[in-house]
Amino acid sequence: MSKKKYFVKRKKVCKFTAEGIDYIDYKDIDLLRQYVPVSGKILPRRVSGTNPIYQRKLTRAVKRARLMALLPFVGE
Amino acid sequence: MALYELGLVLIPELEGEDREAFLSELRALVTGGGASIVREDVWGKRNLAYEIRHKREGFYVFWQFDGSGAVIKPLEYKLRLSDQVLRYLTLNLDREMRRSRKMERRRAERKAKAAASRAEAAAAGPAAAEEA
Repeated sequence: MSKKKYFVKRKKVCKFTAEGIDYIDYKDIDLLRQYVPVSGKILPRRVSGTNPIYQRKLTRAVKRARLMALLPFVGE
Repeated sequence: MALYELGLVLIPELEGEDREAFLSELRALVTGGGASIVREDVWGKRNLAYEIRHKREGFYVFWQFDGSGAVIKPLEYKLRLSDQVLRYLTLNLDREMRRSRKMERRRAERKAKAAASRAEAAAAGPAAAEEA
């Protein structure tokens, strides 16, 4: 191809499918942090590549963690 | 009967014997209802992600107990009314893990099936080789 490549598209993978994590624990903050930037928002699937089933589970886990003050509702 | 998980965030001022007394009170409530505590995780003091009642720290405790759901109501009632509790969360782990267990079972089945077909192929292998 003659067109100049500006960036290499990286394939996004769903971590939970790949590693066989079926239950996302709200206490596993290190895991959840990967999907919650400092803003406190949950990364969309479009960005993280998580499968729909796991995205829903992830969301639930993050919301539980927020309730228990393990994660912030609003970040910086 | 089901496996439950209880998460507690206590005020940081509750320390030493007072905390132990409060926790054993809760423990009595759980075991008194016919449930047995399977696991106790104590995280200790942690910074809260945000202020609750002007407190920046909380004492985290997580329990797992096995018993009937009848325990939950009086337990949550007590937790709701206690000033020492900043937050609590009870989950039915059996319900939470249902999918996980199903997936695991399926994975095991698939593995067994693959192993069986491989064994079959291995058994048929020498015969097929002879034919050829």
